[in-house]
Order: sequence, then structure tokens, then C-alpha cells
Amino acid sequence: MTLLADVLRWFTDPAHYRGGDAVQTRLVEHLELSGLAVLVGVLVALPIGLWLGHTGRLAFIAVNVANIGRAVPSLALLALALPIAFALGLGLGFWPTFLALIPLAIPPILTNAYVAVRNVDRDATEAARGMGLSESGILRRVELPLALPLILAGIRTASVNVVATATLGALVAGGGLGRYIVDGLGLQEYDRLFAGALLVALLAIAVEVSFGVLERAAISPGIRVEPRAL
Amino acid sequence: MYRAIRIAIPFIVAALVASACGAASTGPKPTVKIGSFNFAESIVLGELYAQALEANGYTVERKFNLGNRAIVFPALEKGDVDVVPEYLATVLRFVDANAKGSSDPKEAQKQLQDAVKSKNLTVLDYAQAVDENAFVVTKATSDKYKLKKTSDIAANAQGLLVLGGPPECPQRPFCKIGLEQTYGIKLKDFKPLDAGGALTVAALDGNQIDLALLFSSDAIISVKGYVVLEDDKHLQLADNVAPLVRNAVATDDLKKIFNAVSAKLTTDELIALNKANGVDKKDANVVAKDWLKKQGLIK
Repeated sequence: MTLLADVLRWFTDPAHYRGGDAVQTRLVEHLELSGLAVLVGVLVALPIGLWLGHTGRLAFIAVNVANIGRAVPSLALLALALPIAFALGLGLGFWPTFLALIPLAIPPILTNAYVAVRNVDRDATEAARGMGLSESGILRRVELPLALPLILAGIRTASVNVVATATLGALVAGGGLGRYIVDGLGLQEYDRLFAGALLVALLAIAVEVSFGVLERAAISPGIRVEPRAL
Repeated sequence: MYRAIRIAIPFIVAALVASACGAASTGPKPTVKIGSFNFAESIVLGELYAQALEANGYTVERKFNLGNRAIVFPALEKGDVDVVPEYLATVLRFVDANAKGSSDPKEAQKQLQDAVKSKNLTVLDYAQAVDENAFVVTKATSDKYKLKKTSDIAANAQGLLVLGGPPECPQRPFCKIGLEQTYGIKLKDFKPLDAGGALTVAALDGNQIDLALLFSSDAIISVKGYVVLEDDKHLQLADNVAPLVRNAVATDDLKKIFNAVSAKLTTDELIALNKANGVDKKDANVVAKDWLKKQGLIK
């Protein structure tokens, strides 16, 4: 119980909202790192996933290769990314963590995009083809709108994973909310450690909820089931 | 039935052998729980004391790699461990933040014994071996800014160096605070890394940091050709290795065994042990065994 009180005191201490170690600064650093990692994940995985879903070719290989990213522990990826970042002159902190997070972001986005497009009703795509739409037109105007909620669900999973894992960056002198956890452990200041863990958890939940709202809004009007009075 | 007996035989034999071994030792000797910190040297030191005890018929429970002092010391107080290979000055400052400390190990040991008496702990003989916080730079950095002594930083590289060390360094008197207050050094930045571990070394090698906090007995310093800056204003106090033991297990027999090990342990021997473990990648238990044999402490 005293820990809880300490954590509460930690959050109400104005000193924790000033300077380079301020909560808002760490929050922005954390969002910056996670956001960019997810963005790169989307740019890499989404086109591949959509194309695989549309053609149905090579999907088995691509999805499995992407899933290796999920199997390798992020901590190991960070250790691998560190010498690469040094060699490229990118230094400690942001860049090695960023490199380590990308393989974590890719698999859910790729797999979901593939499954989403693959599961679009064949009748709809055949009808579009019959109406004379080009292949890219089918993907853009029929498959993509129908697949969008599931695609967003993949991006949501990736984002939550990345937000939670970005804490590792603090191990290699990075910023972000992980700083509180690693420093709290080193200094044996458990209020700081717990406050950091709480902030990360809240941020992950916030990301999850926002994407949930976005997903519902993205359901194509053609297949939306409107709640109506009987 | 026959099969059951066949399966049981090895167990019965094993039990007989075990009991025979037990009977061979003279008198009842307690099981001793030896703890260590979460860095390689501490584990090697733990192995040294553990194997010396085992050679004398004790049963040892190894509780190595527990964490930093804030975890290990309370474990010792509570009796979760009985023995910890400690460092005189650092543990004294930990137990009593206002302790005067001393650069004379004899005086440091006396102060420590006074400080831990009420906790039912005993400091055994200290070894000649010293392991202190060492501020090191690469040869290139040393040449560039003409750095030999720690005070040269304030003179030649004020505000230019990035320090790398454990995350707690900015709030520790032997680390960043000491550099700033004792030496009047202004640093360009601080990078929170690890406690004299692989990450700090990698960052120093990769020129991500200019100044690193390592341990003076770390063999990596000579292997990599780093320059240890002389502590010319005596920020670091006498940090000789000494076992800190719970009174409950501190029998005359155990003291004799531990003191014999400590008596042979010089700084050079400690560096050699660390080199065998950290650079030549031999396991801590093998390194400890080889050394104890070489010193004639075990057969």
C-alpha cells in the first residue's frame, strides 16, 4: 500500500514535469519512437500483404518469414541492432531501438492485410471483374474498403506491441517512458519504476482504444449493420 | 517386480554413496549460502570462497548474480545469504551514507565492522586486491585532450566529454556527482548504460561515449588498451575485497578458510582471474578451481 501512495506522490510532484526527464517529454519521445516504427512497418508490410492477398501467390512463405520477426525476442533484436547502428554512425538510443522495433511491427500488419484481402467475398471481386474493373481497380475500390477494418486491426496489434516494447530503448541510453523503469531499477526507486510501468500500460491501452474506434468507423457503409429499433 | 528392483538399484547405490560421503566429513558443518552481485568479478569471487569451503567439507548453496547492492545487502541482513564478497569502501558508504571512509584499508575495515556490528555481520580479513570505480578513456581520446589524470578533464576537455555508466551514476557520490564536485568537471552529456559491462565497453569502442565508468580490475581495460585516468584527488576510497559474513556462520574454521583465500588475492591476481573469465571466456567455476589449485588452497 505504501508503494501505491509513493506512486501517487510521484505523479503529483511538479518536479517530474520539468526538465529533460519530465513526463510529457518522455511521453513524446515514446510516441515518436513507436509511431515511426509502426509507420515504417505499415509502409513495408501493407503493400506486400495487400498484393499477396490479392494474388494469393507466395503467401505461405511471406507470412511465415514475417512471423519469424515475432518469434525472435525484441531484446535479442536490440542487441543485434546496436552494432549495426554503431557501424552506420547512428549511435545509441533512438536508432538501435527503432531498428529493433520494425521487425516487431511487420508481422501482424502483413498477416492481417493478407487475410483481410483474401477473405473478401469472391462474388464481390468477380462482379467487379465482370463490370470491367482493372486488377488494381478491384484491389483499390472493392477489396481495400471491405478489408479495411481487419487491416486496421493488424496495425492496432502492431502498435500496442511496439508501444509496450519501446521501453527497451532505455537499456541502450534511449529516452521514452522506459527510462523511468530502467532508472528506477538502478536507483532502487520503486515509485519511479512503477510510475513508468503504469504510464506505458496506460499508453498501450489508449492506443488500443483509439484504434478500436477507428476500426468501427472504417467499416464500409455497404456492409455496415446499423443498429435499428425493432 | 523384478523391473522395479532394477530401477531402484541405482538410487540405492547413490544414496549409500551420498551417506558415505557425508560421514567422511568431520563433525557437522552447516550449509553456507554464498551470494554475489550481478557482475562477473563478484561471481568469480563467490566461486573462490564457495569452492574453498567445499574442499573443507562444507555444503555450499550458490546464490549468485542476485543484483546490485540494494538487493544483495538486505538479503544478507535477512539471512537469505550468509556470505557476500564485498568491497570495503563502497559497502561502508552504503551502510552509513555519512561514514568518513578512509584510503587506508585497515581503517576502512574497522569503520565497516563498527557499522555492521548491530546487523550481526562480521567483516573478515580484506584481500590486497582492490577494485575501484575507474574512469577510462580510449587511447585516442587520451592523446587528443592530453588526459592522464582525472583532473586533466577539467583543464583540457571541460564540457566536451560524454560519460557512460550505470543508470544510477548521476546520483552516486563515487560517480558523476564526485566528478562534478570533487574535480569540478562539466560533462557534455551522460548516457545511462550498464555497470561496467559489455554495453559500456561497446559504447566506448563505438565512440558513443568518451569517458566510461569501468571497474579497475576489469581485464578488458588492458586488453583494449584503454587509459585509466589517475584518481589524483582521491575520489575513490580503499575498495579492497573482503567477505562480509553473517555471525551465525562465522566460525573460526570458516574464518580460517576464507582468510587463507583472501591472503593470496592481490590486484594482479584478481585482474588475471577476470581475464580468464571475461576475456578468455572460461566459466567462473573453472577459473576459481584453477586458481585455488595453483595457490595450493585446494587439491
